Amino acid sequence: MTTKALGDFKDSAAFSLGVELELQLVSKRDFDLTRGATDLLGSLDYDERFGEIKLEITESMIEISTQPQATVDGIAADLGGLRDTLRLHCERNNIGVCGGGTHPFHHWPERRICPGDRFNDLYQRYGYLAKQFTVFGQHVHVGCTSADEAIWLTQALGVHVPAFIALSASSPFVDGVDSFYQSARLNAVSAFPLSGQCPPLGSWQEFTEHFAFLQACGIAQGIKDLYWDVRPKPEFGTVEIRVCDTPLTIEQATSLAALAQSLARWLLRTRPPLHTAKQAHVARYNKFQACRYGLDAMISDPVNLCQMPLKQTLTDLLEAVSDDARELDCAHWLTPLKLMVAESTGDAAWLRAREKQHGNLNDVVREASERLMGKNN
Amino acid sequence: MIETITSPLRAIWESLLERLFFLPPFPETIDSLALFSLLLVVGLLLGEWLHAHARWPKVTGYVLAGIVFGPSALGWISIEALAQARPIADAALGLLMMEVGRRLDLSWLRRNPELLRSTLADITLSFALIFIFALWLVGLTPAWAAATAAVTMASAPAVVLLTIEEARAQGQVTERIILHTAISSAASFVAFAIVLGIVHAELSEDWLNALVHPLWVVVGALLVGGMGTWLALRIAKTLPKGSLAQVFVLIACALLAVGIARMLAVPVFLTLFLMGVLLASRDQQQTLRYTALPEGHWLLAIVLFVIVGASLPWQEFTWLAGVQALGLLLVRAAAKAGAMAWSGGNLPLPKRLLVGMGIQPLSATAVFMAYEIASLYPEVGRSALTLPLFAAAMMELVGPALCRLALHRSGECESGERNRGGIA
Repeated sequence: MTTKALGDFKDSAAFSLGVELELQLVSKRDFDLTRGATDLLGSLDYDERFGEIKLEITESMIEISTQPQATVDGIAADLGGLRDTLRLHCERNNIGVCGGGTHPFHHWPERRICPGDRFNDLYQRYGYLAKQFTVFGQHVHVGCTSADEAIWLTQALGVHVPAFIALSASSPFVDGVDSFYQSARLNAVSAFPLSGQCPPLGSWQEFTEHFAFLQACGIAQGIKDLYWDVRPKPEFGTVEIRVCDTPLTIEQATSLAALAQSLARWLLRTRPPLHTAKQAHVARYNKFQACRYGLDAMISDPVNLCQMPLKQTLTDLLEAVSDDARELDCAHWLTPLKLMVAESTGDAAWLRAREKQHGNLNDVVREASERLMGKNN
Repeated sequence: MIETITSPLRAIWESLLERLFFLPPFPETIDSLALFSLLLVVGLLLGEWLHAHARWPKVTGYVLAGIVFGPSALGWISIEALAQARPIADAALGLLMMEVGRRLDLSWLRRNPELLRSTLADITLSFALIFIFALWLVGLTPAWAAATAAVTMASAPAVVLLTIEEARAQGQVTERIILHTAISSAASFVAFAIVLGIVHAELSEDWLNALVHPLWVVVGALLVGGMGTWLALRIAKTLPKGSLAQVFVLIACALLAVGIARMLAVPVFLTLFLMGVLLASRDQQQTLRYTALPEGHWLLAIVLFVIVGASLPWQEFTWLAGVQALGLLLVRAAAKAGAMAWSGGNLPLPKRLLVGMGIQPLSATAVFMAYEIASLYPEVGRSALTLPLFAAAMMELVGPALCRLALHRSGECESGERNRGGIA
């Protein structure tokens, strides 16, 4: 195993954004996952003007990532362009594309690992977990002007992980059954030994020492081995929020990016006390609450020693970041999130409603696929 | 050979008949169910043995079992038994053809015009080159050369579908093999209907039959297939989606269409193919879209291929006929590979050539089509259609292996992954 040096933190423009979405490739015949990523990429005739389209761990996944953008509107334009490019090429290959954190009924042993040394290494290291990792998430990168700022923001955003989970939750079905979770995807991620929270580190210096320690113990070779909920990304100069399910629409994905940007600005502007050591004790419980109950979660507050309804804290949070959103010119992207919290709706509820209507999951995926393509929002 | 075993038994039985009055007369023919199970066991044994020991596709084993035990070799499966087993073969072929029809996605051609170009190239090149070969090099009359081209131009839907199912293949090469097979089958059925008229015109100068017979075949198949579709969708709508009851309704309606097609002398393969196409296109509410045939249809498929193997006229084999059939297959292979190389859109050339290899099988549909045409004028038809029958006979043995090789080379099979410890 070869270790990869951490490298310097590449400073980037404050609050610049980048979004990655992992998407499902589905058969147009029965809407089960299908193998097609390598052929799809092989036939791609695209100049990367909106960002990249890449392979993910299995042949039934594809990842799109935007260009770094200063504004949320820029992210929306890139995601729209990537979606349309993907639609065009998928149609030529007779493949459907779908959002959502899990495929509702696929059979994981049928998944095939993509060609490539990295994917092969992952499969050899994690065995069947690599195939079960056919789950689909959204990652949001927020640009930081310094390495210390990035570590502080990593800790500060960690407190708000339940909010991102609840707002993006779109994986209620696993293996053809209702899991009772709003986001069952994160249970697949939790199985990996380096998943979870960033330890309570106070500076870039502490982070590099911690990372060197992990390397010396043989636990991690590179930064990509850390499957933390929020982690710094030195080569991009960003902090990466990794807990979101891929939403069913690119508009919802854009709204989540808007929340990440406004929240980062609000946090760095107001610098609230972090209580990282105390938060570490409740982080796993709060994450479970958000995964299981979504907006109805009860979140533990280790400082005031009480529980608060997530819906209440989210309403307050969305109000608190409103001024920053206006300054960043993305307030209009937060409106759908406020509505969603007020009406207790979301992608998981939409999927369940469709399942109830159709009585089968094939039609649910068919409609979800149309929803991603903007046909029946 | 069977006689040597049965004659002493018959003698004993007949002597007992005088004393034991409850005994029925000595059975002259084998019971249909017993025949079904014998064909199944024979096919299974050889298919599984060849698959386990030589890695041959199971379909090849089933066909070989038919050849070995059929009238051409050991004679254990007699010509009468073949006729008796024909309803089972029709049911098996019908269900497989319906499945191929259901998988025909014409909207893909609209979304990928280059694919339309390659399918048209496959159809026209295959028909034209085979027709020219049969007319000029073999010396058949235009009508029989057209019949030969119509029968052999398409890939074998049943073989392709079963080979893909056996390999659990999935991917672009697999999907395109299915699409090309389904479309070329549809084209060959159209050619087949036209050829029926041409054969009537050439051999009897009876213009009424020449005009009405193709219409009877096409309109009849369309009406029976349409009726089956309407009935299946109508009943299935009242049942839970994807339920076992829906599977039974689908199979029952398909078998009803098979039965009516047989009663009206309308080709079963065409009727059920059209039923599949209509099921896919008329099912606006996705009533039966996700209802798959149960694994049990393999049972029928085994019997189908044993019967096809036994139906092949190996006893009439001559070296000249063999060389001519080989020539036809080479011309056909060149046409299909050329069509795929010329066009095929966004798939790289090596993979397009694998599609060309995967659509080489020639099997049950061709044999059944050839016998349908030959039966019109048996005194000349059988000998005139020796060429496509031998081509099908040779491809029965090689086609499944070619199709499987194409799927393996494309890396789209599941079994290959297991052999290599799971890495694609």
